Amino acid sequence: MSTLTAQAPSQIAAVPSARTRRIPWFIWASVAAAGCIVSGVYWDISWHQSIGRDTFWTPAHLLIQFGAVLGGFYAAWLIFSTSFSRNPAAKQASVNVLGFRGPMGAFIAAWGGVAMIVSAPFDNWWHDAYGLDVKIISPPHTLLAIGIAGIMWGSVILILGQMNRAEAGLRRRLQLLLLCAGGFIIIQDMIFKLEFTNRVVMHSAIFYVVVTLGMGIFLEGIARASGHRWARTAMTGFYTVVFLLALWIFPLFPAQPKLGPVYQHVDHMVPLHLPVLIVVPAFVLDLIFPRIKDWNKWAQAAIEGIIFVVVLIAVCWPFGTFLVESQAARNWFFGTQEFAYFLDPAVPSVRNVFYQGDSTRAMFFLKMGIAVVGGILSTRIGIAWSAWMSRVRR
Amino acid sequence: MSSRESAFTCPGVPWISVIGGKLMLLLFLLAPIAASAHVGSPDFYYDGYAGPYHLLVTVRPPAVVPGIAEIQIRSLSTQVNQIEILPLRLIGQGAKLAPTPDVTERSKGDPQLFTGKLWLMTRGSWKVQVNADGAQGNGELAVPIAAISATSMRMQKSLGVLLAPLGLLLIVGLVGIISAANRDAVLEPGATPSPSQRRRGFLITTVAAIIVVGAVIFGNFWWTADASHTERLSYKLPHLQLSLQSGNVLQLALENPNNVNWRQFPSGMDDPDRVRLDDLIPDHGHILHLFLVRMPDMTSFWHLHPRQGEGANFYEQLPSLPAGHYQIFADIVHHTGFAETQVGEIDLPTIEGNLLSGDDAGGPQLIAEKKISQLSDGYRMVWELDSTPIRINQPTWFRFRIEDRNGNPATDLENYMGMAGHAAFIRSDGQVFAHVHPAGSISMAAAELAQDDGSNAAKDMSVAMTGMNQATSSAEITFPYGFPSAGDYHIFVQIKRAGKIETGSFLAHVEN
Repeated sequence: MSTLTAQAPSQIAAVPSARTRRIPWFIWASVAAAGCIVSGVYWDISWHQSIGRDTFWTPAHLLIQFGAVLGGFYAAWLIFSTSFSRNPAAKQASVNVLGFRGPMGAFIAAWGGVAMIVSAPFDNWWHDAYGLDVKIISPPHTLLAIGIAGIMWGSVILILGQMNRAEAGLRRRLQLLLLCAGGFIIIQDMIFKLEFTNRVVMHSAIFYVVVTLGMGIFLEGIARASGHRWARTAMTGFYTVVFLLALWIFPLFPAQPKLGPVYQHVDHMVPLHLPVLIVVPAFVLDLIFPRIKDWNKWAQAAIEGIIFVVVLIAVCWPFGTFLVESQAARNWFFGTQEFAYFLDPAVPSVRNVFYQGDSTRAMFFLKMGIAVVGGILSTRIGIAWSAWMSRVRR
Repeated sequence: MSSRESAFTCPGVPWISVIGGKLMLLLFLLAPIAASAHVGSPDFYYDGYAGPYHLLVTVRPPAVVPGIAEIQIRSLSTQVNQIEILPLRLIGQGAKLAPTPDVTERSKGDPQLFTGKLWLMTRGSWKVQVNADGAQGNGELAVPIAAISATSMRMQKSLGVLLAPLGLLLIVGLVGIISAANRDAVLEPGATPSPSQRRRGFLITTVAAIIVVGAVIFGNFWWTADASHTERLSYKLPHLQLSLQSGNVLQLALENPNNVNWRQFPSGMDDPDRVRLDDLIPDHGHILHLFLVRMPDMTSFWHLHPRQGEGANFYEQLPSLPAGHYQIFADIVHHTGFAETQVGEIDLPTIEGNLLSGDDAGGPQLIAEKKISQLSDGYRMVWELDSTPIRINQPTWFRFRIEDRNGNPATDLENYMGMAGHAAFIRSDGQVFAHVHPAGSISMAAAELAQDDGSNAAKDMSVAMTGMNQATSSAEITFPYGFPSAGDYHIFVQIKRAGKIETGSFLAHVEN
């Protein structure tokens, strides 16, 4: 890990001086915004698994909206305070977007906030035109998801812009915050993959394809940019801990379905399933990284992509067997008895049988091949992405 | 966001919602739509008993599904303390798996009026279960309804004007951010980009702009595909194929433009709610109720019951009727309880036909009156109408009194197809039609299906039916209904007395 020193002291908060030891408030705000959104999304899904019906004013929605407002607010403050500042140093440490000036991360977060806001009336009209959430992946929901990504990546880039100029002490603290923001991105990624990461899919190739695709971009990109020795383990561990705590805490709160038909008895908030054990391949990658970091970039991507998939299979295949077939998994700790109210008793997860996702053995291996190639490509993109992130100064 | 009863693309895995960004920034008005059970009259009215409590329930289904239905319940009893409502599928397993009921809101100004909202998540046949609680204990009733999407709403200009610049801002902003990321972001503070960095930045910005524009074009394709998919699932009013054979035999061929899976099912599986034409069930004794009305004078009106031939073909030996252009409405009910009205038009010559028989009824020269319609034998039908203007969407009891030649209440009324009477509400242009009974605008066959679950509900239905039967012993008949749109309407009321079916014809002017 190389240590960079701050080179352009400034009097404004957006560009802390080299002697500053405190993390600026807007960094905290950016991480808090990402945390609110991730928590809200988790809560919202649990809400729909337990209660079903919602309004604009459900606590989960309010948490997401607060995250969007917080992200938009700090970003707008940074952009306007820099754009209209008379301090030349402030402007010199900023980027120019459409005539406005500010930190790079602030512009990304602001863009995300606007996208989230635009998605709201768009989605509302979509409901009126085509029905209430006829599909999960619709144009307005996609705009919303991209907006969320903007807020979260804005946080990461904002931290990097500061971290890459900071001295050792501050840098270390910013590094931890970066891993926290990266952890939120991993959580968000795994939430979007929920439909394919249930325990009953763990013996199907699609599970490994979905988990692997894109993971290298986030995991490898942020880990390398952070320069932390155990960055991959820290981010995936953060995801694991958050999911575990939610698995154990959410059921403590009462809830009743408000939509029918109700196929499963529900009297408490239904949590999302157990975290996928990506922390294990992430730990293995952290272990081997020092040995391969000087290799050719494609070689690094190849070895990391293959290791990730192989270790993921080695861990999740037997763990899936345990979760699906063992009575020892039917308890609050593993949460395999938690079902959304609308789950038909005939579906595999309720019956505790594996979903047969591969029609033939050849198809299974073909998909596994896609998982490996996807893992390698994702990692290669992550390496390139990290190279840019490591150079961000503004 | 919402959840739904559905088959899953990946079985066993919960349906996932992301976020329900339902901002109440703008309120939209939807144009009235054609409903399945009637034509141009989407709301459902039901007059029934929840245990000891007499209720008039109005259900206004959503214009698109999934959507939110509005429920309005008027209690005739002052002893009702609380009313709960919940949505259930009409048949199948979903009919027994109830969610937690919603407590309706009691009007502060009108304590006998209760209102609420229910989410209907899939197209097809539903029932709204109503649980009333009061001084005389509990009671429940079920109102069958159909949930369909019958409209494809275009984006309002005002919303387009709001979203277009914001969308443009997002596109331009994204390109600007990508440009800055490749130009300024990686420079040390104070440094300026070199010519080669500028060139590289320009190149990347150009490529990014092309990709962003490509993504927008892809989004447009996606949107168009989604819209056309929704359009395919929209309910389409079926049109009858009509022909006259052998001088007085009217042949009707039913149409089924809605033969699609309304929900997503794995390949090879059929949606149980799919509309078919081989699953019709009798509705108060007949598979098909046919209404013919000569346009535009509406003096020749007939309510007939054709016999079913092969498949979806029906035949009716017409009675003697005058020549003219006839509007035709055919009411059918599917085994799912889904009720439809098929429409058609035909020019008929003067028909020298058979005498009316069975439950067939009508008249060739019905003169519509504002208040009193003359019947045979000096009897008359009186619309108990007050001076209050009739307004749209107002749930109203339309009351008709049958008097003998001396002005006394008639004492010889009988049941007509199992109830005190039948009414047809038809707008002067033929674009609105509703076949209404004393129990309301719902199909009676669907009502029976709705009561099937649970002995209490069945008992309540029997109470309701008893109520209807009792109405025949009195000389007054009521029909609960609300006009969906303004205009001039004809109301045809049919009753049976002394073994003869009589038709009264009335005029109504409805204001906004």
